[in-house]
Amino acid sequence: MGQIAVAKQPVPTDGERFFVEKIEPVLKKECFACHSAKAKEVKGGLRLDTKLGLRNGGDSGPVIVAGNTDKSLLVQAIRHEGDLAMPPDKPKLPTQTIADIVKWVEMGAPDPRQNAAAGIAAERDPRLHWSFQPIRETEQPAVKDKFWPHSPLDTFILSKLEARNWQPAPAASRAEWLRRVCFDLIGLPPSPEEVLQLDRDESPDALERVADRLLASPHYGERWAQHWLDVVRFAETEGYEYDRHVPDAWRFRDYVVDSLNRDKAFDRFLTEQIAGDEIEPESLECLSAAIFHRIGPVRRNAGNPDIALSRNEVLTERTDIIGTAFLGLTVGCARCHNHKLEPITQKDYYRLQAYFAATSEHNILLESAVDQKQWEAKTAAARQEIQRVQALSKQATGAERDRLIAEVEALEDKLPPPLATIPSTRNDFSQRTVIHVLRRGEWESKGEPVGPRPPSILVRDDLPEFAADVAHPRTRLAEWLTTPKHPLTARVITNRLWQAHFGAGIVKTANDFGARGDPPSHPELLDSLAASLIDSGWSLKQLQRQIVLSNTYRQSSYSPHAAQAEQADPESRLLWRVNRRRLSAEELRDAMLAVSGRLNRQAGGRSVMVPVDPQLVEQLYKPAQWQVAERAAEFDRRSVYLIAKRNLRLPFLEVFDAPTLLASCSRRQASTHAPQALELLNGRFSNDLAQSFADRLEQESGGAPEQIVERAFWLTAGRAPTPRERNLSLDFLREGSLPEFALAMFNLHEFLYVP
Amino acid sequence: MSPDAPLASGLLSDSPHSRPTRSRREFVRDAFCGFGGLALSALIGEQSAVAEAKSPHSVANPLAAKSPHFPAKAKSVIFLFMAGGPSHLETFDPKPLLNKLNGQTRPRGFGEAKYQFVQRDAKLLGTRRTFQKYGQSGIPVSDLFPHTAQCIDDIAVLRSCYGDMVVHSAAQYELFSGRTIPGFPSFGSWTLYGLGAETESLPAYVVLPDPKGALEAGQPMYMHGFLPAVYQPTMFRPGGRPVLNLDLPTGVGQEQRRRTLALIRRLNEAALNPADAELNARISAYDLAFKMQTEAPEVLDLSQETPETLDLYGIGDERTSDYGRRCLLARKLVEQGVRFTCVVSGGGPGNMQWDAHSDIEENHVRKAAETDKPVAGLLKDLKRRGLLESTLILWGGEFGRSPEAESGKGRDHHNLGFTMWMAGGGIRGGQVVGATDAIGLRAIESPYHFRDIHTTILHQLGLDQHRLTFPHLGRNERLTFVEGKVIREIV
Repeated sequence: MGQIAVAKQPVPTDGERFFVEKIEPVLKKECFACHSAKAKEVKGGLRLDTKLGLRNGGDSGPVIVAGNTDKSLLVQAIRHEGDLAMPPDKPKLPTQTIADIVKWVEMGAPDPRQNAAAGIAAERDPRLHWSFQPIRETEQPAVKDKFWPHSPLDTFILSKLEARNWQPAPAASRAEWLRRVCFDLIGLPPSPEEVLQLDRDESPDALERVADRLLASPHYGERWAQHWLDVVRFAETEGYEYDRHVPDAWRFRDYVVDSLNRDKAFDRFLTEQIAGDEIEPESLECLSAAIFHRIGPVRRNAGNPDIALSRNEVLTERTDIIGTAFLGLTVGCARCHNHKLEPITQKDYYRLQAYFAATSEHNILLESAVDQKQWEAKTAAARQEIQRVQALSKQATGAERDRLIAEVEALEDKLPPPLATIPSTRNDFSQRTVIHVLRRGEWESKGEPVGPRPPSILVRDDLPEFAADVAHPRTRLAEWLTTPKHPLTARVITNRLWQAHFGAGIVKTANDFGARGDPPSHPELLDSLAASLIDSGWSLKQLQRQIVLSNTYRQSSYSPHAAQAEQADPESRLLWRVNRRRLSAEELRDAMLAVSGRLNRQAGGRSVMVPVDPQLVEQLYKPAQWQVAERAAEFDRRSVYLIAKRNLRLPFLEVFDAPTLLASCSRRQASTHAPQALELLNGRFSNDLAQSFADRLEQESGGAPEQIVERAFWLTAGRAPTPRERNLSLDFLREGSLPEFALAMFNLHEFLYVP
Repeated sequence: MSPDAPLASGLLSDSPHSRPTRSRREFVRDAFCGFGGLALSALIGEQSAVAEAKSPHSVANPLAAKSPHFPAKAKSVIFLFMAGGPSHLETFDPKPLLNKLNGQTRPRGFGEAKYQFVQRDAKLLGTRRTFQKYGQSGIPVSDLFPHTAQCIDDIAVLRSCYGDMVVHSAAQYELFSGRTIPGFPSFGSWTLYGLGAETESLPAYVVLPDPKGALEAGQPMYMHGFLPAVYQPTMFRPGGRPVLNLDLPTGVGQEQRRRTLALIRRLNEAALNPADAELNARISAYDLAFKMQTEAPEVLDLSQETPETLDLYGIGDERTSDYGRRCLLARKLVEQGVRFTCVVSGGGPGNMQWDAHSDIEENHVRKAAETDKPVAGLLKDLKRRGLLESTLILWGGEFGRSPEAESGKGRDHHNLGFTMWMAGGGIRGGQVVGATDAIGLRAIESPYHFRDIHTTILHQLGLDQHRLTFPHLGRNERLTFVEGKVIREIV
């Protein structure tokens, strides 16, 4: 501070003189050929001939972090430290030159050059941002090791490793691979028999057959649905104070599970969710897909003064999720102002919103006309009474109103269960909201009206808007999103799949492919996979098959001789080993159920509420909402079938980083803290299952301690115990209780982590 | 680009509070400056070979205490949350003109206001409370709070607070997280994220809800939003064993459990690479869990307090016992280094909160009687133990109440101008800051938004609102959505 020079004729500082004398000539001589306006093609989107270009960096992001040479890509590149070596295909610059540049960055990278033009015009053209470019298929890079790559995918990975003289990690054992691929594809541990079977299988296609079996398992959809439900922040209740249960919203979950199991083409999957009610208004499947627009938080306040405000909030939810889930762009910022960092204008935002102007809630009763009539007749009196009291409550004030509202709720609770419903959507053009650009995002401050149109950055400038009341507006949105030329849709879903298998995406910020997002670690690979996804007819399973059978995926998570890689790339973004990962909350719960022999594999249907601490239920505004399933066997269903209720999440899942259900979750956290240990040690669920696991061990081993220990390790870790583990366990069992031993097995690192 | 470069996104600053996920390298680094927690290994009679090989401090704990951005005045926060919205007009903001205009419509000169229920033609409602000046500062306090009034010289009364929303849930979200929608971290979670914990035996962010029931915004209001789960609040349950999962399961004795823990540790260490920081952290989490389990019940036990202390909080009197117990618990938590405690007054149906739609007299006399003595007791007790200097107290609700009458003798929600107060933690008490207009409709002098309250609290804790950030959906999110101001008059 205090150094803001406003002198009319600026006197150059020492640093600026240093730049002019030592740095600029080097840039001119060595770099401008590729990184200036004179270049035939500006390489990497980086220009060094202007102050702004130097400051903004290129496709890989900023090249200079003032004052921090270690973090400055430019310095790494001229030192040949990173995977960029500059100038390319030439020896390093002279030592003194490198030292000068380092010194200059340490000085804070002073640059006295004036910007060519003031303001935004001089900024890098946002269209050059990598993710807005068409998907480019590049040739496979040449690699020295011809034997390691099993598929083109491996070649892209290996070439980056070879460029640094790193080795891929040794292959994981078959048992480790099996454990990994089972959790990744179906979210459940392999059985000991499956481990042994694969170990004995000497046929050349043994792994292929395992992968195919898992991809065909009905559990595949249950596992992969959770990833998608995270992204679209699926919940069956509306949140806010009432946290109203949307009738039969679980049908959306079943739709996702089923679609993934059938390997529905992703472009179709997307279209059905966005526009199912438009494209096939008679299809229950498509109508269930369109529940998509009903699963976000909805505010329904008592006496909410502003209906227009509520409508605006609903539209906001429906618009933002399109950006996040499909485009991988945070469009929400542009609701209030032109996006400062992304080329999304306010007008773009409201044009996107205009696709939803007529979208309204539509609950479709599934029962026959006769059943409907019967239900209506049976409840006519009660419903009339509810309406009467409701009307009274609207006129009443104060305590009287509270009393009447409570009465309405009590009456509603007494109604017989509602009829089977699809809480879908439809276009109601008579109620269409006229979409305006809203100043500061406030619904009262209406600017110009707009019609539907994709964001400008992604279409040609002169593309007109659709008419505000265009027929099937959401179909048009889906058509645009699924054109094979779309630069984002295929990349974004490809990256999500990659992330789910490797822990981090090729783009680490899976919901953000914009200027602030993380640049891709392997851009060519991402494009190659995205292109192959489209070529395969958008088959997610084919892409995953390719991934799980790759040698990249087969690597061990432990690489014994990789000190240099460990140092330079501790997160293994270049995949010199596979990253171990902790089970997600749902996987952990499901694995405990599976291992203890209690897992109820029933698929689909109404969501389950399990018993929870009564205190939690009392913290609900309407405790009667928590209706515990009648059959105890339901409590042991897979986690994806437990109710997703915004205001009451299971403490067990919460403590292991299950998402809040309020905003899109692009990637699960994996935190480690004491309440997790308390949950696994003292929680009711853990101890209950430990008892069942103990019973199972007793039964399957005939009660002999050696057999118990053997079986316990096979079930929880997928391998035999080591001699030390066997001795420790047998010592324990001599005095300790079997359920406590079973509980200890749930707390093994190997049980909690995918190798 | 190199994977080790700063991800070139500009997302990550150098602040230790800006890291979403920690690289292995960071994990290892933290492992050596985390705090020790070898209680379990000591108890099970064996030192961890791994721990010995490295250092006595072998624990990578994401809750390890962190240094603030600049020297802090406060170490802990207690939020006395008066849910439902207490009236400023009946408590700390006397308006003689309102009494004069009782029964008339609002003079046009005061401008418009949007309410939840009351209509434009509603009549102004005078107050039946009387105000008296207290302490050396001579600040007027109404007869609802005779005990709190005795502490007024420690209190900075903020008469010019305002928020953006006039319905409970949205206003409560804004009060806690700075946003009017759920899903953002509460200021309790941000505080924990910024400073870590100073207790190993207790959860570091505690909410003591009103046993009478839920609030409109529900649990999400207190939550950690997109911050890692380690920063979530712990909701205490009423009764003697408030923390979930601290008790051993039925039928399992201490001795048995000690052996089980020893087995877990030995098995996990048998298969452990000594340099594996992440799995070492997991082992440490079990140490901490064990420590919590053995030490927390003692801390939470109120039976060792003297009768004089119990009386100070009004424990024993039916009206004040509940809130008094929870305030006393808050003091004990602060003593143990708990970073953030929220003591909620109000829950369940509106009239069980400060939500006095139908009868401001009945509601506020009752709610004040339940809380006045406990609140004053807490202030006095903290002060005499030397804890008030480092403990910042915030009192208030999600909004105030309307100058107009609702249903004759009640008041509606009101977000344009209302009172909160702060004390302790370096706050300069004995002063009034800001003012509403002559009928208490609008904050007209030095208006302070919730984000300014948040900024001020962070400031006292030594945290800079701009540096306490977390990347989420493409933005570096912070507690103060729009930049907040430090309330300079009181710090």
